[in-house]
Amino acid sequence: MSAAPQPDARALSRWRPPSAAIAILFAALVGGALVLASGVNPAEAYAQIFMGAFALDNWPNTLNWATPLVGMTLVAAIPLRGGMINLGGDGQLIIGALVAAIVAIYLPGPGPLVAIAALIAAAVAAGLYAALAAWGETRHGVPMLISSLLLSYPAVGVASYIVRFPLRDTTTGLPQTALVPEGARLMALNGVLNVGLILIAAIAALVLFVDRRTVVGYELHMRGINLRFAGYGGVRLDRQAMRIMFVSGAIAGLVGAIIVLGSQFRFIDDVLLTPSYTWSGLMAALLANGEPAGAILAGLFFAALQTGGFAMQRETSVPRVLTMVLQSIVILFLAVRHGAGKSRE
Amino acid sequence: MPNDGSLPTASPPAAPELSATGIVKRYGALLANDHIDLSVARGEIHAVMGENGAGKSTLMSILYGLQQPDEGRVLLRGEEVHFRSALDAIGKGMGMVHQAFKLFHSLSVWENIVYGAEPRRGVFIDRAAARRAVADLAARHRLAVDPDAIVSKLSVGVRQRVEILKALYRDARILILDEPTAVLTPQERDSLFAVMRHLAAEGRTILFVTHKLHEVMAITDRVTVLRDGRVVERMTTAETNPREIVRAMTGRSVSLTVEKGLSHPGATLLEAIDLTIAAPGGKPLVDKIALKVRGGEIVGLAGVAGNGQSELVEALVGLRRLDGGKVLVGGIDVTDSDVAARRAAGIAYIPEDRASVGSALAASAADNLAMGFHRTPPLARGGLIDAAAVARRARALIAKFGVKIASESAPVGSLSGGNLQKVVVARELSHAAPALIAEQPTRGVDVGAIEFIHGQLVAERAAGRAVLLVSSELSEILALSDRILVMYEGRVLADVPQDKANEETLGLLMAGRAPEAA
Repeated sequence: MSAAPQPDARALSRWRPPSAAIAILFAALVGGALVLASGVNPAEAYAQIFMGAFALDNWPNTLNWATPLVGMTLVAAIPLRGGMINLGGDGQLIIGALVAAIVAIYLPGPGPLVAIAALIAAAVAAGLYAALAAWGETRHGVPMLISSLLLSYPAVGVASYIVRFPLRDTTTGLPQTALVPEGARLMALNGVLNVGLILIAAIAALVLFVDRRTVVGYELHMRGINLRFAGYGGVRLDRQAMRIMFVSGAIAGLVGAIIVLGSQFRFIDDVLLTPSYTWSGLMAALLANGEPAGAILAGLFFAALQTGGFAMQRETSVPRVLTMVLQSIVILFLAVRHGAGKSRE
Repeated sequence: MPNDGSLPTASPPAAPELSATGIVKRYGALLANDHIDLSVARGEIHAVMGENGAGKSTLMSILYGLQQPDEGRVLLRGEEVHFRSALDAIGKGMGMVHQAFKLFHSLSVWENIVYGAEPRRGVFIDRAAARRAVADLAARHRLAVDPDAIVSKLSVGVRQRVEILKALYRDARILILDEPTAVLTPQERDSLFAVMRHLAAEGRTILFVTHKLHEVMAITDRVTVLRDGRVVERMTTAETNPREIVRAMTGRSVSLTVEKGLSHPGATLLEAIDLTIAAPGGKPLVDKIALKVRGGEIVGLAGVAGNGQSELVEALVGLRRLDGGKVLVGGIDVTDSDVAARRAAGIAYIPEDRASVGSALAASAADNLAMGFHRTPPLARGGLIDAAAVARRARALIAKFGVKIASESAPVGSLSGGNLQKVVVARELSHAAPALIAEQPTRGVDVGAIEFIHGQLVAERAAGRAVLLVSSELSEILALSDRILVMYEGRVLADVPQDKANEETLGLLMAGRAPEAA
């Protein structure tokens, strides 16, 4: 549906390089200056990031990092495509992770079926929790931007309580659940990689397909461009908001479940949120303004950047937090460009 | 004008009060003003006419200091000026009344008028002096307003007087009025014209931006016509006629009247029964309105903007909840149905605001034209959209309605007002719905597009459809409608057959005066 506009003469004469590319370039320059100021050759640091992400041996690490990050990118990008913002990714991820852990540990039955049940339960629970924010907006006028974020804190807090007290694995001194039985874990593929990668890739492909080919995707895109137009054209906006937020939250829940069932094999308090997948995902989605293909690419880019950051930290004296700085500067420059563009109109 | 004819017009031009020479303004590759020359004499009422996109607004922004020209000079009484902002322009005696008023709604009239130039006593505003100055000014220019009234309580016509007083308070020698009559009743318009004549007789100069031909003929001394950023014609009003002005504006001759046959009304296709919309803590926005539109007739809904027409229409199409009453489409009660269900029951709707409701500017023409058709064959099957069918249908509609656009995949945001409106009209008419609600269908579109859209509405009527035409443009209502309803403060004051309607009776009704027993 959303074919790129034909380049007419006027558009060509005003052609400007895509803003995302420029923002990345600026970020690289600013980051380079920071590296230089700390006495390291920026070219060396960037080369380490690149090698750390893309050297043949490092591919599995990058993909392993990309699995949750791209997942959380979709979580942010899907509502953003319709002009909605889901800031509650952390809470939804935690709910998914906890529900997956509980189902996998306590549900009896053949391993693979238990794993599937755990994934579905995680998706449904987190999806419903996210839809709660949409319900608050459509029924009670609480802005979703606020409610989705605020709903995140109780989810994180309650999950933390649950693994510290009722469900704590008392054989260890740590705030974590018991181990997921081996049969219910996600199948490993190659080294660190597991089936979760394929699951997220399949979901990404499905999101792309829905966005480009279906009625649902068309209505969401139109809503994102002009909410009132969509309503005027007969799109049922309230129902749409609830469904989209359900899907967004469900993907966040799946990401949590994949981490628990695929790599950590238990719910460990605090560990899920430390890498800030939610916020990197949100930035990636913003970078592409919610357009799924661009968002997925941006998510992969950030995953590569962050994975490369570990190598840079190892090989040079530059801390890997630089990659987060780069990421933020990209978004900042993008915002500046958008703002400047608007004031010129 | 019936009430005034004493003023001598078209006095020989003295030294120009305002002259602009060789004004050029570019926006990227677009040449908005292409070497425009404009010269206006002291005490003259000078019309600036042109279709949308002809460059009127850009030129006015330059004269008022809101924009700086790329080339060219602006001279006031022979002295070159360089305005960097509207404040500069105001300091040199320019004043402008914008289409959308710039007033503080919660403040009083005098506070609005003196804002930014308050008489002071020490660090305090001298309220008594300010009030007195405003009252004197209003009396001197016969602009009746109560200095203590709160702006939000005033009618649109009075708010406009406040805007004019604001400019006069700063002793504006040259007044730019941008489409000042769009929001007025005919009576309010006549009193505005009286004020304009008075100001001109005092030696003030008025630039009158409009697209209404009869107003230009009625009040102006000279006319400058712009087309595609250039001056195409300078005329003395007394020596020209509407037809010539239109030809200059469009570059071709355009029919100014609407041909339509006799109406053969059939069954009622759109009906409202006691439709009520409450306002929080006030009198209802729409107060028990009953209306019926039959197949094969155009019913005009006239009224000054803001008397409940928009709310009524939103309630009819399902965008606003009712507080009482019913809506029937083709005899079926759709009161509890949402927009999609009402559209399915047979309503098409051309909304008042094509840019913020009627279209998605950043989306392609194909996507815009698909809205409302995107769930069912031939455009969609089993939840999947057939992009080829969407494009095919868009191309057909673009050709049929003569939309000037590079291709169906170009975004509609780049289109002119008239072309964008054609996209909206094309989409809604292609529903072939039994009932069509057309809300301000020609607002802000050029003469050529008006002619086209009017023709389409008449064709709908001929095809046996029910058309509800909501317009604050009386000439449009009079030209197209078979019956005319006048709305005032949420009620329908009268139901007038076309042959009994004229500007004067409708104008009185629009101002809230009940029809006299005849």
